[in-house]
Amino acid sequence: MFLKKKPMWGEKKKLKSSYDVVLIGGGLHSLATAYYLAKDHGITDVAIIEKNYIGYGGAGRNTAIVRANQRTQYNVPLYNEALKLWPVLTKDLDYNLMFNNCGNLNLMHSEAAMKAARMTIATAQFHGVESHLIDAKEAKELVPALNISEDITFPIHGAMFHPPGGVVRHDAVVWGLAKGAAKLGVEIHQQTEATGINTQNGRITGVVTDKGTISCKQCLVSAGGYSAALINGFLGIKLPISVLTIQAMVTQPIKPLLDHVVSSGAYHCYANQTLKGEIATGAHMDQWPNYTTLNTAHYIKHQAEALSEFLPALRGLRFMRIWGGLADMTPDMAPIMDGNDQYEGFFMDCGWGYFGFKSCSAVGKHMAAFMATNECPEILKPFNLKRYQEHKLMGETAALVNYTPDN
Amino acid sequence: MTTRFNNLPTLKVDAGEKVPFTYKGKKFYGAKGDTIATALYANGIRIYARSLKYHRPRGFYSMDGECSNTMMEVDGVPNVRTETTYLKPNMVIKEQNVKGSADKDMMGFMDKMDWAMPAGFYYDVMHKPAKIWPIAQKQIRKAAGIGALSPDYIMPGKYDEIYPNCEICVIGGGPAGMTAALAAAESGKRVILMEVRPWLGGNFEYRSAKYADGMSYNERAVQLAKEVEACENIRVFLSTANVGVYNNNLVTGFQIGEEKDVFTERYVEIRANSVVVATGCIERPLLFDNNERPGVMQAGTALRMATTYGLLPGKRAVFSIGHDLGLEAAVTLFDLGMKIEMLADIREDGQDPELEKAIQARGITLLKGWVAATANGRKQVQSVTMTTVDGTVSRDIECDLLVASAGFTPLTGPLVVNQAKLKYDSHTNFFLPTDIPERMYAAGRLLGYEDGASIEASGRVAGYEAIGDAAKADAAKKALSELPGPARGCKLINAPVKGRKSFICFDEDTTIKNVKQSIDKGFDVPELIKRFSGAGLGPGQFGIPGHNLPLYTAKYQAQPEVKIRPTTVRPPLVPTNLATYAGTNHNMFKITPIDDLQKKDGGIFRNIGVWQRARYFSNDLTCKAEIENVRENVGMLDGSTLGKFRIHGPDAEKALQRVYISDMSKCKDGRVKYTAMCNDDGCVIDDGVVIKNGENDYYFTTSTGRAGQTVEWIRYHTRYDGWDFSIVNLTDSMGVINLSGPNARKVLEKVTDTDVSNEGFGFSEYKEFSIGGIPVRAMRLGFVGELSYEFHVPSSYMKSLWLMLWEAGKEFNIMNFGVEAQNVLRMEKCHIILGQETEQRTNLLDAGLGFLWARKLSEWKKVGAVALRQAEGDESRLTLVGFKMENKHRAPRDGALIVDDKVRGYIATARDSFALGEAVGMALVEKHMSKVGTRLSIFEDECNGNLIYGKVVPMPFYDPEGKRMKM
Repeated sequence: MFLKKKPMWGEKKKLKSSYDVVLIGGGLHSLATAYYLAKDHGITDVAIIEKNYIGYGGAGRNTAIVRANQRTQYNVPLYNEALKLWPVLTKDLDYNLMFNNCGNLNLMHSEAAMKAARMTIATAQFHGVESHLIDAKEAKELVPALNISEDITFPIHGAMFHPPGGVVRHDAVVWGLAKGAAKLGVEIHQQTEATGINTQNGRITGVVTDKGTISCKQCLVSAGGYSAALINGFLGIKLPISVLTIQAMVTQPIKPLLDHVVSSGAYHCYANQTLKGEIATGAHMDQWPNYTTLNTAHYIKHQAEALSEFLPALRGLRFMRIWGGLADMTPDMAPIMDGNDQYEGFFMDCGWGYFGFKSCSAVGKHMAAFMATNECPEILKPFNLKRYQEHKLMGETAALVNYTPDN
Repeated sequence: MTTRFNNLPTLKVDAGEKVPFTYKGKKFYGAKGDTIATALYANGIRIYARSLKYHRPRGFYSMDGECSNTMMEVDGVPNVRTETTYLKPNMVIKEQNVKGSADKDMMGFMDKMDWAMPAGFYYDVMHKPAKIWPIAQKQIRKAAGIGALSPDYIMPGKYDEIYPNCEICVIGGGPAGMTAALAAAESGKRVILMEVRPWLGGNFEYRSAKYADGMSYNERAVQLAKEVEACENIRVFLSTANVGVYNNNLVTGFQIGEEKDVFTERYVEIRANSVVVATGCIERPLLFDNNERPGVMQAGTALRMATTYGLLPGKRAVFSIGHDLGLEAAVTLFDLGMKIEMLADIREDGQDPELEKAIQARGITLLKGWVAATANGRKQVQSVTMTTVDGTVSRDIECDLLVASAGFTPLTGPLVVNQAKLKYDSHTNFFLPTDIPERMYAAGRLLGYEDGASIEASGRVAGYEAIGDAAKADAAKKALSELPGPARGCKLINAPVKGRKSFICFDEDTTIKNVKQSIDKGFDVPELIKRFSGAGLGPGQFGIPGHNLPLYTAKYQAQPEVKIRPTTVRPPLVPTNLATYAGTNHNMFKITPIDDLQKKDGGIFRNIGVWQRARYFSNDLTCKAEIENVRENVGMLDGSTLGKFRIHGPDAEKALQRVYISDMSKCKDGRVKYTAMCNDDGCVIDDGVVIKNGENDYYFTTSTGRAGQTVEWIRYHTRYDGWDFSIVNLTDSMGVINLSGPNARKVLEKVTDTDVSNEGFGFSEYKEFSIGGIPVRAMRLGFVGELSYEFHVPSSYMKSLWLMLWEAGKEFNIMNFGVEAQNVLRMEKCHIILGQETEQRTNLLDAGLGFLWARKLSEWKKVGAVALRQAEGDESRLTLVGFKMENKHRAPRDGALIVDDKVRGYIATARDSFALGEAVGMALVEKHMSKVGTRLSIFEDECNGNLIYGKVVPMPFYDPEGKRMKM
C-alpha cells in the first residue's frame, strides 16, 4: 500500500488534437469539474490545460478554511453542499483530505457587526446550517487565547460560531481530485499554456495551446485570478472583475493552541492552527488592483499588530513565511458561473475572489452537470453574468465594494 | 565546563566572566559572549533536541539558524534558535517536543518507523473507516508542533520600531559589505550597513589564516571595521537581521537590543535609494546517511566554535568537505590541538596549493575523491564510514566529530524576495541571481568569490555602482577583473548511498528517499516536492534544503540543472517574532474636538470608521433617558465626524450636477438642500445637505464613512470634462453640534441676539450668525424629528460653543445624546442611515428616496441615473418599508429575516419605541410585499422555526405631519 510508484495523475501523455471537453486552468474548480464530468456523467474525453503545475494558483495558496455561513440564500446552500462533500470525497477519492471540522469563530466588534451577524446566522439557520451568536465570554471559553478586555482597538462584543466549518488540507484536495479525475480517464496537461479559444458561428470549436490546437465542442475557463484576463483576451468578453493580490502567512509550528478558526472583520485578520501546528493567518487584499502576487512590508506588520491585540499570546511566535496569491473580485463578492450564453459551448467559473477553495467540490459537481446536460442547474442560476447588466448585485456583502481607481 | 582558548585574536567570549543560566532545572555557567548553544556545548551538551517526525537526536550542526536542531524554549519563549541567540544572565532554557529528554526520548522508536511513512503517506491513511480520522487527527495535532505557548502567555520585553532613510543600504557587514559601504560613503551620501551578527567582519572575522603577507583575515576584518566605524556617513546597525526587501528598495529587518538599549527587539524599515546585497554564503549540507547525527557539523561551525567561542568541537575528527574553507578549518583546528583522523575532499583537484602544503606540513593525509557515506553511532557520532565518491571502496574510521560540507550556497534571499531570478551556474555550482532589480547590486562571496582581495574588490564595484559613479565603478571593475574570479564549486550532492537516512531537510525529516518517492508519484518540480514531502517547510525554511533539493531533483530525473528552479524564497528571511513586527502597536483613530468633554460626561465610545464617537451616555443601552430628553426637552450631540466640504470655481455647480441625483441648480440662498449620490448601479452611496454660499460656491456634508472618498469620487466622475473647480475637505477643520428638542430654541435664544424664531429662522433654512462672538453656520434640520439646529464651527471654537450652549441649557435640563439615541430617534421618523437601511443592493428608489431624482436632467449624465431608469420596473428588488408588530411590545432583532418558503428580506432597524409605546421598525423586503397591510413573517436567529409577525405600515411612525421639527 505504501510503495505505489505510479504517478498519481497519470503518465505524461502527448496532447491529442481533439477532446470532447477542454478545461482551461489546473486549479480546484477545473479539477473538480473534470472529476465529476467523468464520474457522474461518463464524460472522460477531457483535457485539463495548466500553464504551470496543478494547484499553482489560489488552490495552493489559500488558507484552507471551509464554511457555510455566507450572507445570502443563494450562497449558503451551495457552500453547505460543498462542506458536506469533504468526507464523501475523502472516501470516494480514497485520499485523506484531512477535513478538520473545528468550527469557525467570527469575532464581532460593534453593535452594527452583531446585527450583521444576526442576519447571517438567521440565514444559516433558515437553511438548516448550524451557526450561533455567542457573547465574548462564551467566545473566550472556546478560544482561551482570546483577549476580551475593553482596552484593545476593537473590543470583542461577541462572535458568530459556526461549528460545521473548519479547515481542509488544500493541497490534498488538488492532488486527490487530480488522482480521481486521472483514474477515470481525464488527461492533465501541465506546463501547457492556453493561448486562444477558436469559435465559429457563435460556437466554440477549439482551444489553442502552446503545444498545438485542440478541437472541442465545450470549453470551460476556470483559471482563478487569470480567468477574467483570459476570457477577455480570448473572446473579448469583459467581466466586472478586479484582480488583487492577497497575502497570507504562517508562523513556526507549536503545540495545539487554537482549536477553532478565528476571524475578525474589524482587524482584517483571521488565524487558525494547521495540523502541523503552524498558525496560518491572512485576511485582506492589497488596496489596489494588481496581478503581482508580491508581498508587501506593511501587510505582515499589520497582521502582527492585529494578532497582538486579539490573540496576544501569539506575540511569542515567529512568522516563518509569507506568500501572495490572486483574488478575482466581483462587485458583489459572489462568483460568475455561466455557460452557453455568449458562445455555445463556452462556460466560465470565475470571480471567486478569496472563496474559491471552500466551494470547489459542490461547484465542480454542478458545473459538470451544466456542461453535460447543457441545462443550468437551479442552484447556479443566480450566479449568471447578466445580473450585473441588470444592476442586481447579489448582496453577498452588505457594504459597497469598489476596487477600481476611483475608490 | 570544558576549558577554552583564551588567547586567540578572533575570540568573542570572555571565559573569565561567567554567566549563570538554568538548563532543564539545573544551574550551569557559560562565558560572556556565548550563544546559548555554545554555552551548552561548553557544558558537554551534545543532543539539543529531537526531530519533528522521527524524534531523531539532533545537535549543533549550523551556526546561522539554518535548521531547527538547536531550537529550545528560552525564558518561556518557544522555538528560540539557541545557535543565534546570545546568552544572558539567568536565562531559563528548556527542551521542546520530547517525551523524557532530548537525550532519552521515549518517542525515539519513531525513527524505525520510516518504512511506514513515505512522502505524503498521511494522505493515504487514517481515513478508512471515516470514524478513525477525528481520533487520529487529535494525535497528529499533539505530535505536531515544536514549542508550546499557553493561551494566557505574555511575551516579555519592549518592542519598538524605527524608519530611517538613506541613499545606500548595504545588507551584510562582511568584507564585501564593508568595502561597498566605504566606497559608497566616499560620495558623502548617507549609507546604512546592516549586519546580523553583533560585530562586523563576516567570513574574515573568525579566520586566522593568511589574508596577505603579514596579515590574517581576522586582522583585515578588524582594519576594515575600524574604517567603517570612523566614517561619519555610515550608520551601522549591528545585530540586525534583514528579513525582507520590497518594491522600490524598501528594506526591512529587526534589531536585537543590547543591555543599554531601551528595546528588546525593534522593527527596522529602511527606505533606500540603492541596495547592495553582500550576504555571503552558507554551507550546502552534504547528504549521506545520518548526516544530521549529533557530532556532525558544518566546517564553518566547527571553525567558528573554536576561533570565536574558544571551544574545540571534538577531539578526533574526520573531515568530509568539498571546499577550501574545509581544508583551512582542518589546518586551523589541527593547530589548536584537534586530532584529524581523516581529511577527505570530495574534489579530485582544484585545491589551493598553499593549503595543500600546509596540510602536508602537518602530516595530515588528504584524500581526494572521498566522502562520508554513513555516520555511525546511535545518538552521537562514534565512527564514520568513508567511501570513494564512486562508492567502490570504503573504510570505517572512529571519531567524535565529523566535519561535513558539500560546498557553499549563496544567500540570495534579499535579491530574490525583491524579484531577482535565479539561474544555475555550472562553474560555481550556485544558483546565481539574474534580472536583479534596478538600483540593487550584489557583491562578494554570494557571487562565488573566495579570494579575499576579489571579495573586497567586488564590494567596491557594487558600492560605486550604488552611488551611480560610473568612472569609479569602471576602474573598480577593471581592478576586479585582474584578481581571481569566482571559485569552482563542488558538484556532489549526495554520497553513494541509497539515502533512506540521508536528510535533505532536517526540520521536516525529509530524506533523499522521500524526494525520490515524491518524484515517482508525479511531483516532479521542487515546488511540488516541497509541498508533498515537506522539504523546506520547517522553521529553517530553505536553509538546509534550499539548493540541494533542486540539484537533486535535476539529478534524479536525469535533467540538466539549468532546467530546474529552486523553490521560491519568501520573507521573512529570518523568522521574526510577531511582537517585533507589531512594534509599538499604535492605533490611529481620529477624535472629535470635544472628545475630552464627551468622555468626561460619561460617553461610552465606539469606533465608527476612522473615528471614535460616543454611542451611549449610560449603561442603559436602550438609551431611554437620552431619547426621552430629546423628545420632551433638549439634547446635544457631537456630530463632528460628518464629512464637510467646500466646492468652488466656475464649474462647481456642474460637478455637483454630475454626482448628485437632484437638480443642484435649485439650491437657493439661505436654504438647506437634502440630496443623495448614487454609484453606477444606482445604489445610494451617500446623502447629505448642500448649501449655496454664492455663485458656484457650495458647502456640503457627507456621511461620516464617505468623507475620505468624496474628493476622489467627484474628481473621478468629472475626469473627462475639463471642468474648473476646487474641492476642499473641511471635515477635520469644522466641528458640528446638533441641538435638538422642543426647548432647543429657548437655549439658542439665550446665547444669540439673532432672530431665531420660526419666522426668522425657519425649517430647512440656513443662517450665519455669531454666538458669543463665535461665527457659526447654522442649519435647521429635522433628522431626529424635533425642532433642531445644527451648528458648524471651526474646530478650535467647538469647545467654547459647546460649553456656552451647555450652560444656557442647564435650566432646561440639557443632556448629551449619543449615536444610538440618535439612531432610534431618526428611525421613529423613518429617516434612513446609509448602511443601515440600505446595503450594496439598495438603489435610490428601493430606499424610498426616488423623490430626490431629477430624472429629466439627462444632459448632466448623473451618476447612477441610467441604472435607476433600467431598474425602475424590476419587481424583484428589495425595497424599504415601515412595519409594526402584531405583538406590540416585541421588536424583532435587527438582522432578522422576512421569510415565506424563501428569504424575502430582513429587518434593518427595529426598536420598542418609547415615544410611540410600541415596537416599530424598517425592513428591506421584496417589492411585492411592500404594500401597506402586508403581513411579514419574521425569522429570528435561534427562533427554532417559531416566527413572529409584523405588518407593513405607512412611514414615518412619529409625528407624520412633521409639525414638531417645523415648530
